[in-house]
Amino acid sequence: MSKLTVGLIAAVLPLVAVAAPESYTTDPYHTFPHFEVGHLGYTVIRGRFDKTVGKFTIDRAAKTGSLEITVQTASVTTGDNERGSRPRTRDEHLRTADFFNVAEYPTMTFKSTGIKFSGDNPAQVEGQLTMLGVSKPLALQMESWRCGAHPVNKKEMCGGSATTSFKRSEFGMKYGIPAMTDEIKLWIGFEAYKD
Amino acid sequence: MLKLLGGMIAAALPLGVLAAPESYTMDPYHTFPHFEVNHFRYTNIRGRFDKTTGKFTIDRTAKTGSLEITVQTASVNTGDRERGDRPRTRDEHLRTADFFNVVEFPTMTFRSTGVKFSGNNPEIIAGNLALLGVSKPVALQVQTWRCGQHPVSKKEMCGGSAVGSFKRSEFGMKYGLQFFSDEIKLWIGFEAYKD
Repeated sequence: MSKLTVGLIAAVLPLVAVAAPESYTTDPYHTFPHFEVGHLGYTVIRGRFDKTVGKFTIDRAAKTGSLEITVQTASVTTGDNERGSRPRTRDEHLRTADFFNVAEYPTMTFKSTGIKFSGDNPAQVEGQLTMLGVSKPLALQMESWRCGAHPVNKKEMCGGSATTSFKRSEFGMKYGIPAMTDEIKLWIGFEAYKD
Repeated sequence: MLKLLGGMIAAALPLGVLAAPESYTMDPYHTFPHFEVNHFRYTNIRGRFDKTTGKFTIDRTAKTGSLEITVQTASVNTGDRERGDRPRTRDEHLRTADFFNVVEFPTMTFRSTGVKFSGNNPEIIAGNLALLGVSKPVALQVQTWRCGQHPVSKKEMCGGSAVGSFKRSEFGMKYGLQFFSDEIKLWIGFEAYKD
């Protein structure tokens, strides 16, 4: 009986190992959150955060997972980085208390609370966005998702993109509404290596 | 008879003035071409050119127009600009002869050959993209378009966005085609003031 139990456990173990959550760390060179804000009703300005770190776990058997992203707010860039005859660039302005207040809030974070799967792939990541010290629920929609081996170094990796939107006023960022839209669209492209 | 003719010309003149092409100059702080390239089929990398100048004309009566954009290739920016322990950043690599070859080709340009209107607004701008010294036809689809007054300065302006795509190999940019997609998606947000 004891032998049978051991045999059963041994037979079950590989399955358990497969079902265990795997953890990944995002590749900072290929992981960039971008945002879009409407300007005066004329055009859309895109911005990007150049410094982002993140980790996620995925349990493909249990169809669960978790995600945590930390963005350095001072790394915001919209391409306006030379003052010319102006007192400051747009990127400098974005770092002030009018917008990201990077001195007081050097990071913004997204922490998942749950992941919905569609088949074998994550389809929606629900969580909390913390910006300017305010946390609000936010759901990321997965646009694309693929896992496999890096074509050169053969490391296990996943990559994809996700989108969402939120109202910045809900986080206390109210400067210039409505000349610059309250609604912010997010797009995140990412790659991550298995730990 | 001469008086009558003079009166007719005077009466016709305002219409003639209205129908004349109006010219606009791009606002460099609100005009940025972006591109998207697929990376290993895992994610998309977005890049931006930080220095772009442009002019366009529009004749709303005749429904014709022209567009000319000049992009400083060295201003390419994908957010990867700190070497860490690598010999070069991605942005540095993009400036080499493997990609934009900015020493030999400091600018890329788009020059329209024709503008198709949809109602009163430009819809498709056919033209030639000159990249790495090679000129090929590329069509820009206008996504959004609006003209009016700047809400503060009251200057006449137009703004909007346009998309297009091309194969970089057709311009001789063949580096890493097995890793980075041949197809490049373009997105340009712009604002322009009437001259």
